[in-house]
Amino acid sequence: MAKKYKFDYDLIVIGSGAGGSAAATIAAREGQRVAIIESSSFGGESPNWSDVPTTALLHAANLYDKARHGAKFGLRSSTLGYNYPSIRAWKELAVKRTGAGGNRKYYEKQSIDTFIGLAHFLSPNEISVNRRHLSASNFLVATGAQWIIPEIPGLNKMNYLTPRTILEAIKPPKSLLIIGGGDTGVEIAQLMAIFGTKVYIVEQASRLLPHHDSEIGELLERILFEQKGVTSLTHSRIVSVEKDGLSKRVIVSRAGTEKSVKVDEILIAAGRAPSVDLGLENAGVKYTAKGISVNDYLQTNVKWIFAAGEVLGRNSYTHTALMESQIVANNIFEKTKVEPDYSAITEIIFTNPAIATVGLSEDDCLKRDLSVNKAIAPLSIIARSNTSDFRDGFVKIVTDKKGVILGASVVAPHAAEIIHELALAVKQGLTAYQVAETPHAFLSWSEAVRVAATKLA
Amino acid sequence: MNLAVDIIKRKGDRQSERFRREKLHASIMAACLSVRAPEGQAEPIADAVCESVIAWLQQHPEVTSHDIRIVATKHLRIYHPEAAYLYEQHRITI
Repeated sequence: MAKKYKFDYDLIVIGSGAGGSAAATIAAREGQRVAIIESSSFGGESPNWSDVPTTALLHAANLYDKARHGAKFGLRSSTLGYNYPSIRAWKELAVKRTGAGGNRKYYEKQSIDTFIGLAHFLSPNEISVNRRHLSASNFLVATGAQWIIPEIPGLNKMNYLTPRTILEAIKPPKSLLIIGGGDTGVEIAQLMAIFGTKVYIVEQASRLLPHHDSEIGELLERILFEQKGVTSLTHSRIVSVEKDGLSKRVIVSRAGTEKSVKVDEILIAAGRAPSVDLGLENAGVKYTAKGISVNDYLQTNVKWIFAAGEVLGRNSYTHTALMESQIVANNIFEKTKVEPDYSAITEIIFTNPAIATVGLSEDDCLKRDLSVNKAIAPLSIIARSNTSDFRDGFVKIVTDKKGVILGASVVAPHAAEIIHELALAVKQGLTAYQVAETPHAFLSWSEAVRVAATKLA
Repeated sequence: MNLAVDIIKRKGDRQSERFRREKLHASIMAACLSVRAPEGQAEPIADAVCESVIAWLQQHPEVTSHDIRIVATKHLRIYHPEAAYLYEQHRITI
């Protein structure tokens, strides 16, 4: 006799991004009945609207930029140009090749039922999607987050861009004002500046990238200004925006004085808010505007409803959301529960030079009143900086008084690759001495890691 | 204007009904008038709250009556916090 089920599914995953898809795939592979619900494009933010397309565009932009400045190496680049529609086509190809981006069949092939629409809880075990009621014994909420549109007088009367919509622009604007000097803001600033856009960045904090150590933000501000002509307006606040013919006029308040900037486009990149408008009250799930509250096992106060990714309201990256999603799958279906370990999560900003950090920053240690040692190795002291003619960057390592590495920052070409050596050190509690005594290849950028570690050994 | 939105009644023990703007409008008016807001003030507040709720409902074809109460309260709080409190709590207080 066929088994009789109490619910339609064993697991309903709301959101098909990194926070949802891993758990859905794992559960389906284990033979569970799984449904995934997506309100926009399958695959979620990362492959469709953020990491993948932005990094694909940055790859093309950096190639163009390097070739343009190749004269000093004997390359002739005076006739070099670009075709933006072709660059966009390359970006689309990169998105398509991820497999998950915009691809519903990717999930259906794994025996996961797919639904398009906004999910809305009707009760703790039931949701509605386009008037269709679905029930499950477990839920994973992985709805992600959306860009916050700040309340600026005049903004609602005009068009503006977000990091999502700028990727669809037909051509780079002649001038662009970016509200928010965080990770995404600086990536897009450099991308557009390479294609010839005059870029202004407005940031309320005293430096760009205020969530990182001061050396990083200050160096990037200098590089963006000297090499790309980007104007950073730190310590600044937007007073109002208004139309000025076909352009936009932005009034910026800085140090008590108001300044007017006329630009073609405005980009809002001033932070993200978790997407919690899914009837969580009907399920009795506790949440705030900052995100859904969960315990150490990513379980909400309703024990069969879990949450992962940006909807938790923490600093979340695609790889963090993936890890959380895998943990949720484990915690739903396995007896032994596990907790996510955030100690060695890397943060990457794909500028040139790239920025990568792991563990605690020096500022984090100061806030925690930890007694630490630190060392900085500038790229200019290693041989590779000579052969590549690139000197802007450094490796910074922070250790406790016993020499155990607590965190590190790398600002260098290929920083996203270099950082993983230090992530391993943080995760495994290695000392600076152990890293320093590990041979590092001559003429690799990683030599700077050895130099910084040697200073602390 | 009545949207094609189904409202699932409390605890699901009564039949669902279509969203009716006039019903929401009347309930907001009643909350405002109960806290002695002048009718001339209650009317535009109820209009504004209804518009906000309808805007929210555009993407939600099926919600519970509890959802309507939460969203209406959120917007009513902007215009009249005292009426919002009454609107939110009246099932408990009555």
